[in-house]
Amino acid sequence: MKRRFNPIKDKSSEIINYLMASPDMPDDEALRFKIQLSIEEVVDNVVHYAYEGGIGWLEVSTHLDSNSLILTVELRDAGVPFNPLEQSEPDITLSAENREVGGLGIFLCKKLMDSISYRYENGNNVLTMTKLIWK
Amino acid sequence: MVELNGRIDTTNADQFQQEVKPLMEGNQSDIDIDCAGMTYTSSQGLRTFLLLQKSVNARGGKMVLRNMNPMVKEVFDITGFSNIITIL
Repeated sequence: MKRRFNPIKDKSSEIINYLMASPDMPDDEALRFKIQLSIEEVVDNVVHYAYEGGIGWLEVSTHLDSNSLILTVELRDAGVPFNPLEQSEPDITLSAENREVGGLGIFLCKKLMDSISYRYENGNNVLTMTKLIWK
Repeated sequence: MVELNGRIDTTNADQFQQEVKPLMEGNQSDIDIDCAGMTYTSSQGLRTFLLLQKSVNARGGKMVLRNMNPMVKEVFDITGFSNIITIL
């Protein structure tokens, strides 16, 4: 399943709902929770930060490999080149007083999905996440 | 005791923060939240819980989150929030 959303300003939940309604998604509630949270974090990042004023497009797709049962979710945008995986990770051992507010989104994706990768290709940011699922 | 119900996600995280803001101010520094009905939180929701905890600590109070859904609890565990917030 693939769809390009344009414009994307204030469209986070529509894009997330589109992806979660994909027939490639698992039925298992706990798996869906992890996938949805990861999708929400990366979609929100693009919607809020990729384009100045939120004017631009975001193409999203899902693919389920029927042999390996690996679900792939891909996001592609033509916004400011940005590799979210280069963000420094939060120090989760700090006290509440010393913890920084924020920076948790991509960290959560890394922990909840099996893999997350980024490439810059033909002027596009391409973010790919995978998760082994069972149906 | 404050009761949380539903999802904290991209559609209402800002509203959630506004709604709990009175808990971060004022003299009442002890916060007791029943999370049984909270079925989901994104990192934006976590951010608000951290702000709540910071405000409680600054006032020398205590915050307790109760009856957390196991899937939501896992998010608190992964992010280390379980170590800095009391979850019963």
